[in-house]
Amino acid sequence: MSVSERSILLIGESGVGKTHYGAQLLKRLMKGDGQLRMDGAATNLEPFEAAMESLNEGMAAGHTPTTTYVDSVWPIADVGGRKAELVWPDYGGEQIKAISSNRRIPAAWRARVVNAPAWLLLVRLQQTRVSDDIFSRPLSTLKGTGIENREVQVSDQARLIELLQMLLYIRGAITTKPLATPRLCVLLSCWDELDADKQPAAILEQRLPMFASFVESTWSEPSVLGLSALERPLSPRDRDMEYAARGPEQFGYVVLPDGQRSTDLTVPIQRLFDATL
Amino acid sequence: MAACSRPTCFAPESTCDLGHLDRGKCPVWKGRVEEAATQSGTATDELLLPWSGSAIGLVDLGFIAGRTKPLVVGIVGPQNAGKTTLLAAWYLLIGRGLTGADRRRFAGSYSFAGWEAVASALRWTPGHYPSFPPHTTSRGGRAPGLLHLAFRTANEEVRGYTFTDAPGEWFQKWAVNREAVDGEGARWVAEHADLFLLIADREALSGPNMGSARGSLQLLARRLASERAGRPVALVWTKSDVAVAPEMERAIRDAVLGAMPDAREFSVSIAPSDDETADEGQGLLQLLNWTLETRRERVVLQPVQASISDPLFLFGAR
Repeated sequence: MSVSERSILLIGESGVGKTHYGAQLLKRLMKGDGQLRMDGAATNLEPFEAAMESLNEGMAAGHTPTTTYVDSVWPIADVGGRKAELVWPDYGGEQIKAISSNRRIPAAWRARVVNAPAWLLLVRLQQTRVSDDIFSRPLSTLKGTGIENREVQVSDQARLIELLQMLLYIRGAITTKPLATPRLCVLLSCWDELDADKQPAAILEQRLPMFASFVESTWSEPSVLGLSALERPLSPRDRDMEYAARGPEQFGYVVLPDGQRSTDLTVPIQRLFDATL
Repeated sequence: MAACSRPTCFAPESTCDLGHLDRGKCPVWKGRVEEAATQSGTATDELLLPWSGSAIGLVDLGFIAGRTKPLVVGIVGPQNAGKTTLLAAWYLLIGRGLTGADRRRFAGSYSFAGWEAVASALRWTPGHYPSFPPHTTSRGGRAPGLLHLAFRTANEEVRGYTFTDAPGEWFQKWAVNREAVDGEGARWVAEHADLFLLIADREALSGPNMGSARGSLQLLARRLASERAGRPVALVWTKSDVAVAPEMERAIRDAVLGAMPDAREFSVSIAPSDDETADEGQGLLQLLNWTLETRRERVVLQPVQASISDPLFLFGAR
């Protein structure tokens, strides 16, 4: 049984819940009742210490500083006893935003993009929208031409697709065939905000149709899952008493492709690595 | 700072034209490395991208065409006819996932910023009503801005398309004089497009200058007919909600269909159609479907005429 290193390229803009998911995932791995469990001790829990502390108190974690990028290495094992090392990053989401807007990719990111066998993209649908246009809200008299040089707000769908296109280019993965590697999982985070009981892929198709179709046509087997890492909104100041009393490991769920909920937060990772572990 | 000797490569300001992420590995760039390293101590280790997202020019076209040669859709028409609005409307509809999902799926674009720039005028934004996209300015370029789209078809094939977004003045000059100095961009479209959409503006054809609008469109149709060399053409009536005198319609139709009998005819408008349910304008998706389905003409080899099925004797046999 060889120990292989599995790093995850976690992609998410700021405010999508990367740190919350990391902290909750770590808690679940340590609890050890899911598909994956911690096999030994993690080398460095510091990046998630503050977040886990806040969650223990029933409060939301603070914002991750923009310049931070820390990899934590977690020895994990699955139910079949197969072992691997999961490299889980934590960073300020502004780095992703900067890549999109500057169209320059820092060298450190290149190594991550090229080496990671699996990409996990966190999208918070409450932060994205398709704005109304002349077709969805018609105007009876459309007169006059637009002002030139008006500042153009790039739509959320276009920004997300362009980000993936950039990462694919850096990886050298632009082909005519649907991609088998890197494996991609789109996690729709903060699922509890959506108030939806449909399948995650259907929700993505409905909310961001162009993005959903890009993902479908670029990857051969993309998976779309829902995630509510906290299960309910927490405030950074006022504590949620029930949370503090029962512990954050009792909260949070993943929505599987068929719409079923699972309290095992390690499922997205297990699915990404299932073929390669 | 040393620059790459290839005329289409702007390294080190942009990425290597030949696709080497590490410039040192490019055979053309080799030998310049030391020179560059000594001169620019501040060289960043950031990676650049070969596309900017804006409308594509001739130099950038190599990157798009590297995978498959995209189908070039030439949109031809006088100024203010609605060429850019047609593109903007298509982009918005694709953004809603209306691409004929069972037949094809959207598979990316390398000119998102260009698409967003034309489409943003038709969006509701805080403090702005939707309006028509700004006039496409004629800067006397050699080629129009190209907007790129890729689709994956039902049989898993990726198809690329580029749409020309050219100012109408080019075509008006070109209609009058094929060799016009400022019609070079129009000549580029005429030479390289794989199919043409000839835009007839119903508003202009019913407005105060209807006579000159008719005249210039007839000239344009005649020019296109002599230049198209068998490539597919569609006559597209834009602003189809505007009524036009039947005689006018007949005159245009005669001019276009008389010279190009195989031309298809479409009517489009961004105004909502009569049945309240559809929020997709009128005719836009039908035209998009036709455009995306059109294929470049292929060479068809003559079938072998033989009376024997044995491949050894196939060609010699009579």
